[in-house]
Amino acid sequence: MSSRKKRSIFDIMGEYFENLEEMAEQLEETLMGRPSWNQKACTMEPLHDIMVTPTEAIVTFDLPYTQENTIQVKPIDKNTIEISAKMRRRIRFDDFGITHYKGEFQTFHCHTRIPVPVYMDKMEIRFKKGILEVRLPRKREYIIPIE
Amino acid sequence: MVSRVFWGMNLSDEVKILEKKEVPLGAIMLYGFPDVGLVGVIAASHLISELDLREIAYMDSRLLPPMIVLHEGLPHSPIRIFGNHDILLAVSETAISADTIYPIMNALIDWGKGKNVRMMVSLSGIPIQDRQDAQELKVFAAASSPEMLKMVQDKGVEILNEGYMVGPQAIVLQSCARIGLPAITLLGQCFLNYPDPEAAAKVLKELANITGVKVDVSKLLEKGDEIRLRARDIMKRTQQEMSKMKKTREYDIPVYVS
Repeated sequence: MSSRKKRSIFDIMGEYFENLEEMAEQLEETLMGRPSWNQKACTMEPLHDIMVTPTEAIVTFDLPYTQENTIQVKPIDKNTIEISAKMRRRIRFDDFGITHYKGEFQTFHCHTRIPVPVYMDKMEIRFKKGILEVRLPRKREYIIPIE
Repeated sequence: MVSRVFWGMNLSDEVKILEKKEVPLGAIMLYGFPDVGLVGVIAASHLISELDLREIAYMDSRLLPPMIVLHEGLPHSPIRIFGNHDILLAVSETAISADTIYPIMNALIDWGKGKNVRMMVSLSGIPIQDRQDAQELKVFAAASSPEMLKMVQDKGVEILNEGYMVGPQAIVLQSCARIGLPAITLLGQCFLNYPDPEAAAKVLKELANITGVKVDVSKLLEKGDEIRLRARDIMKRTQQEMSKMKKTREYDIPVYVS
């Protein structure tokens, strides 16, 4: 007869959530583990944020020094957008007192995945105070009727 | 050269504050720690450069990440205290993790109390939606006692009446209320996740109004884009810690139970 103690559903769930949390932390560290700039491509990754409301997904990007007429926002698949924008001046590492890296940047660039289905073709864009705002209406693929 | 060592009283053989220069007694102690919009850090950095504050003490602790900050090739603690004859300014160049925030902040408060500081002021932010559309940014205050609350109200600062506060400034206010040390927190409306020099400038103006610690904020506004660019990485790290600290609780509506 097995002497192994039977675990309760709460223990199993607790362990599951602990593992999930650990995986999320690892993923976060992996994402943070790379620099926010790409020396080879001469690009910087902007800070960005996503908010999902009942009707739309709103993505914002912090783009200091940006020339408004150079901003490009492109859908690259049904739930990812790519943004790029040129800065008014070249930024060198030594502008920040950093001398152990060499390189200069004049472009912001990044891809962002939208976490809910959206209509890419109904995208609205505005740029104010150095913040690029992309609004995407949410797609309702199905509605569950209330009985 | 390190002249004196102060050991944090609360936890904490784990947190030491080492003094490099003579520390004035009876000063105002300010805090600029990474939080929403990096308002406190940006404001602190501007105060250091405008008032030519010198490093007078630093924190040494195994609770901090295993890191140093190199400035002109020399190692520095990520948490340092700058000052002159009348101001002590604690500033952190790294986001403080939720699980170490109590011993770290309490060690600083105990140290300040030991220096007979006359008031503690946390410089920070409060996020608003559609911040880029805001015409005029407001600054709110919270205080450690009814007397301090009246003092800031008399200066025309709006009070943060109800709500939650999460982060270093919450510990400062709570601990100072407990030990009877006058304290206020100034919260400038700001971006949640982006560095906000304009909000920092607003907070510095209210700091001048309340304490008389005056600085010209025009350079801060002129260099806004440069600061936003420079502060991206620390903002990203701070976002992570804010999420672990459940910073979004500040949006919650409290149930009044007293």
